[in-house]
Amino acid sequence: MKSNKIVGFFVFFLITLASFSQENADSAKQKFTISGIISDANSNETLIGVNVSILELKTGVTTNEYGFYSITLPKGDYTIKITYLGFQTVDETIQLSQNIKKSFKLQSSEQQLKEIVVTSNKKSTNIKSPEMSVNKLSMTTIKKMPVVLGEVDILKSLLLLPGVTSAGEGQSGFNVRGGGADQNLILLDEATIFNSSHVFGLFSVFNPDAIKDLKLFKGGIPARYGGRAASVLDIYQKEGNSNSFHMSGGIGLISSRLLAEGPIVKDKGSFIVAGRTSYAHLFLKLADNENSASFYDLNAKLNYKLNDKNSLYLSSYFGRDFFNISSNFENTYGNSTVNVRWNHLFSDKLFSNLSAIFSDYFYGLTLSSVGFDWQSSIKNFNVKYDLKYYLNDKIKLNFGMNSIYYKFNPGTITPIDENSSINFGQLDKKNAFEPAIYVEAEHQASERLSFLYGLRFSMFYRLGGSTINLYQDNQAVTYNDQLKIYEKGVPIGFKTYGNNEVITDFSNFEPRFSSSYVLDEKSSVKASYNRMVQYLQLVTNTASPTPLDVWTPSDEYIQPQIADQVAIGYFRNFKEDTYSLEVESFYKEVKNRIDYIDGADLIANNAIEQVILNGQLRSYGLEVLLRKNIGKLNGWIAYTLSNSEQQTPGRTPNESGINNGNWYKTGFHKLHNLAVTANYSLSPKWSFGGNFIFQSGQPVTFPNGQYQYQGITIPSYGARNEDNLPLYHHLDLSATYTPKPEKRKGWQGEWVFSVYNIYNRQNAASITFRENQTTGSNEAVRLSIFGAVPSVSYNFKF
Amino acid sequence: MQISKYISIVITMLFFVSCEEVIDVDLNTAAPRLVIDAAINWQKGTNGASQKIILSTTTGFYSNVIPKVSGANVSIKSSSNLNYIFTEILNTGEYVCTTFKPIINESYTLTVVYKSETYTATETLQSVTPISRIEPKTNGGFSGKEFEIQVVFADPIAKNFYMVKFFSDTKKTPNYSIGNDEFTNGNENSWQYGDEDLKVGSKIAITHYGVSELYYNYMSKIISISSSSGGGSPFQTPPATVRGNIVNKSNSNNYALGFFSLSEVDFRDYTIQ
Repeated sequence: MKSNKIVGFFVFFLITLASFSQENADSAKQKFTISGIISDANSNETLIGVNVSILELKTGVTTNEYGFYSITLPKGDYTIKITYLGFQTVDETIQLSQNIKKSFKLQSSEQQLKEIVVTSNKKSTNIKSPEMSVNKLSMTTIKKMPVVLGEVDILKSLLLLPGVTSAGEGQSGFNVRGGGADQNLILLDEATIFNSSHVFGLFSVFNPDAIKDLKLFKGGIPARYGGRAASVLDIYQKEGNSNSFHMSGGIGLISSRLLAEGPIVKDKGSFIVAGRTSYAHLFLKLADNENSASFYDLNAKLNYKLNDKNSLYLSSYFGRDFFNISSNFENTYGNSTVNVRWNHLFSDKLFSNLSAIFSDYFYGLTLSSVGFDWQSSIKNFNVKYDLKYYLNDKIKLNFGMNSIYYKFNPGTITPIDENSSINFGQLDKKNAFEPAIYVEAEHQASERLSFLYGLRFSMFYRLGGSTINLYQDNQAVTYNDQLKIYEKGVPIGFKTYGNNEVITDFSNFEPRFSSSYVLDEKSSVKASYNRMVQYLQLVTNTASPTPLDVWTPSDEYIQPQIADQVAIGYFRNFKEDTYSLEVESFYKEVKNRIDYIDGADLIANNAIEQVILNGQLRSYGLEVLLRKNIGKLNGWIAYTLSNSEQQTPGRTPNESGINNGNWYKTGFHKLHNLAVTANYSLSPKWSFGGNFIFQSGQPVTFPNGQYQYQGITIPSYGARNEDNLPLYHHLDLSATYTPKPEKRKGWQGEWVFSVYNIYNRQNAASITFRENQTTGSNEAVRLSIFGAVPSVSYNFKF
Repeated sequence: MQISKYISIVITMLFFVSCEEVIDVDLNTAAPRLVIDAAINWQKGTNGASQKIILSTTTGFYSNVIPKVSGANVSIKSSSNLNYIFTEILNTGEYVCTTFKPIINESYTLTVVYKSETYTATETLQSVTPISRIEPKTNGGFSGKEFEIQVVFADPIAKNFYMVKFFSDTKKTPNYSIGNDEFTNGNENSWQYGDEDLKVGSKIAITHYGVSELYYNYMSKIISISSSSGGGSPFQTPPATVRGNIVNKSNSNNYALGFFSLSEVDFRDYTIQ
């Protein structure tokens, strides 16, 4: 019933818009459409986000995720200008007297200039588009940054952007605008990645060679995305060169990479296969031990253009981490994804994409000494249908649906042999279904004013077969008023739901809005609001995610997180687009942010609701990004001043809540965060890169006393997260040497030398307190992960 | 037994490769708070008449002296109305009783009167299944080269909670672990203990406790934050002061730390062969 109404509403919305545009079309003079695909001339790889501007009308579009653009204009002569970072600008005059199909192949700017590459214009901020709070990083930029142990890392480079931090060095995940690492939707070719790290956070799972493009949405999130509260990181894999066969790769201290790409049928289809593997035994230098930590990943993608109107894509990722300690401890985990896509052009104006996506996160552990084997997984099946309707040069409509079916296995425990004292155990499997529909308009209302507005309607069904515990007054956590502690509730019964029977359902409207007002040729102001609903919760009470973290769907006891964010910003290009300045301020509130009762044991907990309390999260801040786009020296300075805090008050006035119901800083709160990154091209042979990071220390809780109980020393604590680790800073430098920069065919190689943390700052990853076993006194111990780390790697292609 | 414990070890292992350094960190000191260490342990094969309760206060984290609390009135009353007075060994903060009568499943109430405030707690004496045998292992530890012992006991078919204390002569402080039978109900079950300092001739005192669920939960938090049990890993939960089962009847805000527990225990001395 309800969903019928919703569908009705959307149909109404579409008809209204369509008729509105029809009217316009009739009254104006004849209109025609120019559309096509923009790709790299060298590899035929389609390009995402290319600016297509019509100079006469001061209007334009950008290519979508598949390199497609379409624009409808009144009959006439126009100059069309194609600009894209790292490619030569194309200007072309067109006579628009009928519908035109025009595809462009852009020449890489490096190709032409024998001297130093000085890219122009394209990096400058797009002041006209209502899109804000979005960061794009090109793989070229990422690959030039100095990195720890020489491993190019997409996630680590995000940390140099304003509003993005991580809980600490060597920790996995990232935090966007004071949100949790679990609140980021990470998509690799549209498939959800649940764990983005290798080796507990030292490296990311994305092989830089296989990645084409990435975009991080921190706010003003388009309606086509949903399911996470804080941000969307949308990563696209390369499609492969459909002109000719090539290989590229690299040899580093930690891992080696190899990539092969080439045509299946020239100009029609291509493939790409990329692999990366680390050298085992490298990390754990525990003397004479047979310990090892290693990882590998494989990326593969096929695409085939059936005809002008239809293209097929198949992409997949498979990655695994291994961690063994002698022979009695074996740990394996990783993601795998498969995505099949069909692009179809209904007309010059209506682009569609249908995707079927499968993704799986697996965690396995075998402990022979204790005699058990542990496995957990999250599988999801997603069907997505997205359409883009290029109504006219002022309005573009995006609409579609997606529906995800989740299967959670929180844990299966099996005894490894007959002698094991462990019984077989299966934590309750959980199923859920998350459908959503959306519609969104990109609307240029006037020459100065443009909007992006949309609405997403998301639904969530927690499905059986599962057994749900029932509690007195529906309270899975009870408060012991006498002892002033929270305790696990005792179920008064349970209810069993059959397969696919709905246990609990939720539905939410998620409005999205952003706008831009152009002040003058060089500057604009933008504002946005978005609501995001997150139906999956990461069950963790540590500051950063770990591979064994368990995700759980919302249900009767765990409500979905609802985030509301507003942001305003000022954008300016100056000195002929040499510099750009982006200043943004945001305020965000998240309802139903979960916290845990003291002493909650989250691992292998079959009744997680018994340790969860509902709280809220709020964050606000100011972000400044100053970039130098052009010249031998380019780079940026990003500074963020922000606050991120959480509160879990008692449910009744008698209850203490967590931290006495007071607000406390989140574990990833960083008051100040400064990142400077620069790249200097000295000569065609030598270029240099540098990063400098300076941050407030992570909030932590230090003891404010000690006492003795049963012969051991116990620390006592005051309020939560009132202390801070010391300031965190490091400077990293790199040099890239290309022996034969003029070489464009055959073997081309380059050497990358880098030093991470060059002045050997001992940054605290943690400060712990312990009793010295010799003196018996208490002492503070600082743990630092990376001192100065030099590295060298060699990259090649042919 | 504690699956979570073993899984958590994975995470901390990584940090073995990194660099540890003792540093100076200035800490605040909160006002002192009363600590009541009242663990009544009845060793199998004894009459359990001799029992001790220790009163102290919290103090600065780096302090080497734990302040003792003298001059309090300490008593335990059983549900069959027998009252046991604990008298202080002069100025030591240690309160003793030599006539205590432990009875399995009997409920007892502790009363402490200090500075005219009354603190009470009620608990039930928990039984324990005996240690059936102790098995040595020479290929223990993650390196596979350490001495390790396995303390085996038969878990009865019922919901049980256990605690164990290993006090090795190679260590200054004892090591506590807790366990339940969620995944091992009714099976032969065991504790493992090993450390890199153990060698032939090392002596380990083993105390195996039956505990209540409330005490199990309390000790679970205590073990996770206690510095001498290897706590304080970067991935641990935000620590908070652990509150026990002792209530200040006179002024609930001025609560006491510590716990009143009653356990049957099985004790062994073991020497590494």
